[in-house]
Amino acid sequence: MSENQNTSNCRISRNVLIKAPGLLPMLYTPREIAEDLDVPETTLRDWLNHGAPHSRDKSNHIWIDGKQFAAWVDNQRNARKKPAHPLQAGEGFCMRCNAIVTILNGEIHPVKGRLSHLKGKCPICGGIVNRGIWNAGSAELSQG
Amino acid sequence: MLDRQNYLKVKLFLKFSRDVHGLSSLQISNDFEHLKALLLWAGSQPLSSAHAFNTNLPDSLFQIGEKGLDQAELQSILNTNQRFLLWGKAMFPVEFQNIRLSWIMKISAISEGKEVII
Repeated sequence: MSENQNTSNCRISRNVLIKAPGLLPMLYTPREIAEDLDVPETTLRDWLNHGAPHSRDKSNHIWIDGKQFAAWVDNQRNARKKPAHPLQAGEGFCMRCNAIVTILNGEIHPVKGRLSHLKGKCPICGGIVNRGIWNAGSAELSQG
Repeated sequence: MLDRQNYLKVKLFLKFSRDVHGLSSLQISNDFEHLKALLLWAGSQPLSSAHAFNTNLPDSLFQIGEKGLDQAELQSILNTNQRFLLWGKAMFPVEFQNIRLSWIMKISAISEGKEVII
């Protein structure tokens, strides 16, 4: 019987990302897989609670398929990657919201030479958003 | 699915190598990587009947070799597998009684006329 109690993302260390593809196509106990990946068994059991694939036999013992687990680790890595795209005109990165937003009421403040700061407000949290720009022009204020 | 007993024997061998022969963790890690080839070759069959498998181990490794394994690495893998089987025969004499020493000793000899694509 497969169990998936919680499917939230887990932070997977680089060491595990490297070692997981080397897992064999066989059933492991949590202790064995923790030893092979060089992580504490408690960490591994935490991953199981967060949706890592595993099954239980009639005696309620946990078994983990090596290849399925490796695929889950790979999915976790991909799930944590944020879709990246270059900032468009009038956009900035809000450090509070941790997201790309359209800057409201943007004003250009020259810094030095061709470098300027586009300073405005975040439409979501209302915090100040700064963006460094070269050769500031009207295109940067399209949404301002 | 691989045979769990084979995996457990390999783990026991690695523990033995570390505790008795005093191999470093790097060597243990290398040996484990080499023995994975043996586990994959055996598949779901017990290693105690390795002599009766359809394909022999060097041929199986040559197939891996075609994917970019050099001759020295291949020889190293065969040597590790030979060490493991010799240890297995010593530690589990009844289980490995059908595997002859002469068969184990032949493992590390790479067949003539075969070339590994580097």
